[in-house]
Amino acid sequence: MFKPYTLQSRLCIAGALVLMLALPLITSDPYIMHVMVLVMIFGIFASAWNLVTGFAGLKTFGHHAFFGLGAYGSALLSMNLAISPWITLWLGGLIAAGAGFFIGTPILRIRSMAHVAIVTLGFAEIVRICIANFSSVTRGEMGLWGIPQFEGFTLPFAGPITFSPADKVSFYYLSLVLLLLMLGVIVCLMRSKTGLAMLAMRDGEDAAESLGVNLTRMKLMVFGLSAFIVGIAGAFYAHYLSILTPASVVGLDLMISIIAMVLVGGLGTFTGPLVGALVLTVLIEAMRDLESYRMLGYGLLIVLIVMYLPKGLVTLRERCFPRPQE
Amino acid sequence: MNLAIFLEQILNGLITGSMYALIGSGIALVYGTMKVLNLAHGELYMLGGYFTFFLTVQFGLPPYISIPLAVAIAFALGMLIEKLTIEYLIVRENWAFTTIAATLGLSIVLQNAALLIFGERFNTVPYYVQGVMAIGDIRLPWQRVLIFVVALAVIGLFTWLLKYTRLGWSIRATAQDRDAAQVVGIPVRRVYMICFGLAAALGALAAAMLAPINAISPWAGIPVLLKGFVVVVLGGLGSFPGAIAAGLLLGVVEAIGVQLTSSEWRDVISFTLMIAVIWWRPWGLFGKK
Repeated sequence: MFKPYTLQSRLCIAGALVLMLALPLITSDPYIMHVMVLVMIFGIFASAWNLVTGFAGLKTFGHHAFFGLGAYGSALLSMNLAISPWITLWLGGLIAAGAGFFIGTPILRIRSMAHVAIVTLGFAEIVRICIANFSSVTRGEMGLWGIPQFEGFTLPFAGPITFSPADKVSFYYLSLVLLLLMLGVIVCLMRSKTGLAMLAMRDGEDAAESLGVNLTRMKLMVFGLSAFIVGIAGAFYAHYLSILTPASVVGLDLMISIIAMVLVGGLGTFTGPLVGALVLTVLIEAMRDLESYRMLGYGLLIVLIVMYLPKGLVTLRERCFPRPQE
Repeated sequence: MNLAIFLEQILNGLITGSMYALIGSGIALVYGTMKVLNLAHGELYMLGGYFTFFLTVQFGLPPYISIPLAVAIAFALGMLIEKLTIEYLIVRENWAFTTIAATLGLSIVLQNAALLIFGERFNTVPYYVQGVMAIGDIRLPWQRVLIFVVALAVIGLFTWLLKYTRLGWSIRATAQDRDAAQVVGIPVRRVYMICFGLAAALGALAAAMLAPINAISPWAGIPVLLKGFVVVVLGGLGSFPGAIAAGLLLGVVEAIGVQLTSSEWRDVISFTLMIAVIWWRPWGLFGKK
């Protein structure tokens, strides 16, 4: 993680970037664009979950609470107060971050992984039930619809940009920008001294504390940041699909698919969550006929990966062709 | 508020609480002994309910045969699951996370397999005993009284088992120090398997007793698992007596809370209680630091 970038890794990153930027020029088929937007939303979510779970070692199972809070927060603000979605997107992230601080506070006092898992799961359940029960505001299980779209604007040299269900390309670029922004934040954080301290905390709390890492501040910071990023992903999701139900954004099914993505890709790596999001989302779309087996497949995948490939797909190459020890 | 109705609600709360205690003690037993958080516990409950349903309704067996049989099947299934997954994971590094993730995956698999095999229908079992018990103005169906009696009997049995049998000693020794237990010749792996089986049996028994009241469906396990978690956090994770006390307490608190608000807030009440306890006493109401 702290290795300097090699020429090879630079080329890989540049290649992936060019490919992502050029994809709409190759095909602007709305369906492919839609799938790719979903891949990027889930990629942001998965990367943020990986930040707390894989890098900071706080194994949470309730991050869908922040996705739901971001989505509902942004949607309700833009609908009821007529604030532009461009602003509520960030407000949604802030709401989620606030919740992250709130739930992070008790967690940082406990060192037991089981407690963290239980508390976060319980918190997500509270959020889901509250959204479902406050039906005068959220329309409950019926779902929220008619969420405003992002307003269009005019880009110099490119002409007017509009966001509408018919025009997926602009959503594609917007989600790509968000993905790169969030990834940039995570990568910069992890390659900094703070990131090093975070890894130290994951690998040995007592040792890290004795070397002067402020565990309390570190855990709160990473929990809040991760919640913020997930909240942004949720808010974008809300304005993209413009329809929300408690089950679709705060359901355990969503969290399970994210966990499956990160585990398949590789927990505790930068590329793992992205690879996982891409592979699983595309796989699901390719096998639409088997929709009723989807969750069964996720469950099996999680069990098998954990048992036989605990480091995920991205480490497959090193596993198959181990490099000689230097 | 009418006093009789209020007392009735408290009693109902205690009865529900006794079931929470059974479910929570299963989670506590596995966590206390193996330090594994079993996210598939709810699905073992759900399958226990289905076993009871099939044996009682489809095969027409009387409840005093079908329930022990269902519990025995769940025991065997629990041991099998432990043998196939946990046993491999627990000896590896990072086991605390991998076991949670594996049982989470397992819970999804079991849930969706049940959905595909048994269908979406909500199944109920007829009451095991008919009639209503009346003391003064307080009226309770005998079925609920039976639930409470069975729960108390099973808790008593388990307390005896843990305290006075060789198996109980092995379980407690393994819980205290796994390596030391192995050194003095306790077959730790077998103890793990039996513990997992016993937890599954406790869950299945709770499901069997509740089957006439709570319908059995593929999703029946999720709320049960979350309630079980609240119970073990309140009681101090891994503490068997703590789980029982917390279960009863949670039942009563919920009953009062539901009286004051409405039943759709039941789960919010219990999760909020859990988070409040985590803030105030992270090691649980009855646990030691």
